[in-house]
Amino acid sequence: MSDATPGLEERRARGPVRRKGIGPSPSGWLDPRGRALGSWAFAVNRVTGLGLLFYLYLHLGVLSMLLAGESAWNGFLELATTTVFLLLDVLLLFGLLYHGLNGVRIALVGSGVVPNRQRALFWAGAVVGGLVLAYGALHILGST
Amino acid sequence: MSTRAPRAPAAHVLIVGGGGTGGALAHDLALRGLKVTLVERGELTSGTTGRHHGLLHSGARYAVHDRESAVECIEENTILRRICPGSFEENDGLFVGLDDEDMAYLEVFLQGCADCGIPTQVLRPDEALRLEPNLNPDLKVAVRVPDGTMDAMRMPLRFFATAAHNGADIRPYMEVTDLIVHDRVVSGAVVHDHVTGRDGEIHADVVVNATGPWSEQIARMAEVEVPIQPSPGVLLALRGRLCNMVVNRLHTSGDGDIVVPQRALSIVGTSSWTVDDPDDLDVPQDHVDRMVEEGSKLIPAVRQAEFRAAWSAARPLIGSTDESATSGRELSRTFKTYDHKETDAVEGFVTLTGGKGTTLRGMAELCTNVICGKLGIEAECRTRDTVLLPHTAHYAA
Amino acid sequence: MVTAAEATVARPAEAVQVDVVELAETRRFRVFRFKRDDRAPHFDTFEVPIGPRTTLLEALRWIQLKRDRTLAMRHSCLHASCGTCGVLANGREVLMCVTNVRELGREITVEPLANIPVLTDIVVDMREFYARFPDVHPYVRESELVLQSETPEGIDRSVRYEDCIECGLCVSACPIVATSDRYVGPAALAAAQRLAEEPRGVDTEDVLDWADHEDGVWRCHAAFECTAACPSNVNPAARIMALRGVLVGGRLRFPGRRGSA
Repeated sequence: MSDATPGLEERRARGPVRRKGIGPSPSGWLDPRGRALGSWAFAVNRVTGLGLLFYLYLHLGVLSMLLAGESAWNGFLELATTTVFLLLDVLLLFGLLYHGLNGVRIALVGSGVVPNRQRALFWAGAVVGGLVLAYGALHILGST
Repeated sequence: MSTRAPRAPAAHVLIVGGGGTGGALAHDLALRGLKVTLVERGELTSGTTGRHHGLLHSGARYAVHDRESAVECIEENTILRRICPGSFEENDGLFVGLDDEDMAYLEVFLQGCADCGIPTQVLRPDEALRLEPNLNPDLKVAVRVPDGTMDAMRMPLRFFATAAHNGADIRPYMEVTDLIVHDRVVSGAVVHDHVTGRDGEIHADVVVNATGPWSEQIARMAEVEVPIQPSPGVLLALRGRLCNMVVNRLHTSGDGDIVVPQRALSIVGTSSWTVDDPDDLDVPQDHVDRMVEEGSKLIPAVRQAEFRAAWSAARPLIGSTDESATSGRELSRTFKTYDHKETDAVEGFVTLTGGKGTTLRGMAELCTNVICGKLGIEAECRTRDTVLLPHTAHYAA
Repeated sequence: MVTAAEATVARPAEAVQVDVVELAETRRFRVFRFKRDDRAPHFDTFEVPIGPRTTLLEALRWIQLKRDRTLAMRHSCLHASCGTCGVLANGREVLMCVTNVRELGREITVEPLANIPVLTDIVVDMREFYARFPDVHPYVRESELVLQSETPEGIDRSVRYEDCIECGLCVSACPIVATSDRYVGPAALAAAQRLAEEPRGVDTEDVLDWADHEDGVWRCHAAFECTAACPSNVNPAARIMALRGVLVGGRLRFPGRRGSA
């Protein structure tokens, strides 16, 4: 009669899973190799989202300086007018614009209203956002 | 089902080869209560079975010169539609006549189909063009036949899935490196498992060689010969669904005379030559060019369609391997079971080979009868009416 | 775009048969290897002769036949119809049988698809892929080809196979599948949308209920990687959004079958 064919349990067991990503497993959403426009948009959306969240805490922390009195606040205002800080402001503006406009894009596409136009929407948003960013950057940096 | 008293543990059959042949055989054997193990060196249907153009044959192509094959095809065509519902593009097919030579063939073609039980319907050019607007507008006649399209992998996979559901042990990525033979009795095989990397042995009462064009390589391990002539042909896949019906040329089999629709692709085929090693197939440029040339006579849009793929597949043709078979087209497309006890005085070894994608179930019935006869098992074949599980069942954990 | 008339198909077998003095053009392949008895996967490197139209599958088959018979791989139809030969080539999802090696650069890294457990070497175990699908999903549909043509007598409508060839490239590409084993994934959701669009006897409400779940249609984050990776024009991303549209608005609107997202 027959012997059991070799390797049955090993075949049934779950093998290793290759995950994309720049690091350990939960980074699977962030892998630059072979990505198309849509997933770059998605990845940058996540990064700006995290960035804006971080900024929110920073902002609240800064506002709490008001409780520490006038001199602390004035010290902060001096810092806030340096070029580096203003550049960071421009970066913040970019983050807000990107996240906001891409959010509109996602809402339109993701609710099934315009499911087939995601690339066109991205570039339309990029144009609008680019113009507003340019205008904003000029004013922010021009205020030095 | 057998109604005898409870018997000894079921006889064990080891099938070597995981193409349509092996799958259908595993299914029939499992239904009749035998224990089945099937080993295949790669993915199921990765040999010849998965590569064909997917024609669900009406048999019309063979009605004049290979009647045995034609009758097998039309019978199995009908059975397959019954046992594999939802697995075919069932749009029928056309045999298109373009010139005087084709027209001269028409009568003998219709007679041949009638003799083989293949229903036909003669259409005028305008009728044919209404059905298939992309046809060559200069066609002279078209004959409708019950051709169809099958998914060359997923249809056979239903046989594997049902066999496994009925207890068969299906093992892809397990390669037979030798047969276990003592005193001209084959009692099993030495296998290398490509999943674990280990070697092992499988013992069985009967070993079946179902390796298609590789039959000779396995047969050699038992020191027997099978008259298999590997005979490849080139196929071409083009982007765009150029027809819903299968489109054939109304003449004796020749190169590039069929266009088979598959999803959003059109497959143009095929050609024929002979080789010794079915693993060493090239794709001759002149054959590809001929596909385009002949295919565009049937459907002019073939010439400008976007290229997707070109490949070769080796038919397992039964016949002598001598010089008379130079192109392979002279050999019959029928199938045969070789019980090597009778042909070579080697016990425990059977080869099932030849055939076409459409005749897999019929081949298996014939061979299973032989195997049951060898083992003294009385059990009726039930594969004609057993509806198969969907192909996705093969992947159920 | 290469038309049928322009297609040239010289193969590596021809390159190998030339006189040894003539150097065949070669590429270096780094191939992922894993057998169950191994502690960990590793990469093997091979130099493979190629021709002008050599596909990735042909190159790997050359390795398998001439260098290492233990190299396991999946293939069947050789023309992007069975969907079995999906791999990651330099980190990108491709079907081996229709990928020309010249598109891949001088050194080519071949790995199994992501997010699906490896069975052996570059072969993945598709059981988890299929487990995500709704229970019933027929794969024959109405043919949209040449709608002005008639059908033969006795045949009501022309049919064809669904575009989806169940290759798993979309599941491998999806960044959400990469971080969640519970998300059913783009292939399954696209199949569900096709059922909602053309029921073929399946209860549409059941399908929509199945999709309307936190691990169903709502888990998608609109990365569109699935549509970019699909070799068969399924456009899963747009289909997922269309399903959402149905669930949100109660009306099915799918603007066209050719993926243009």
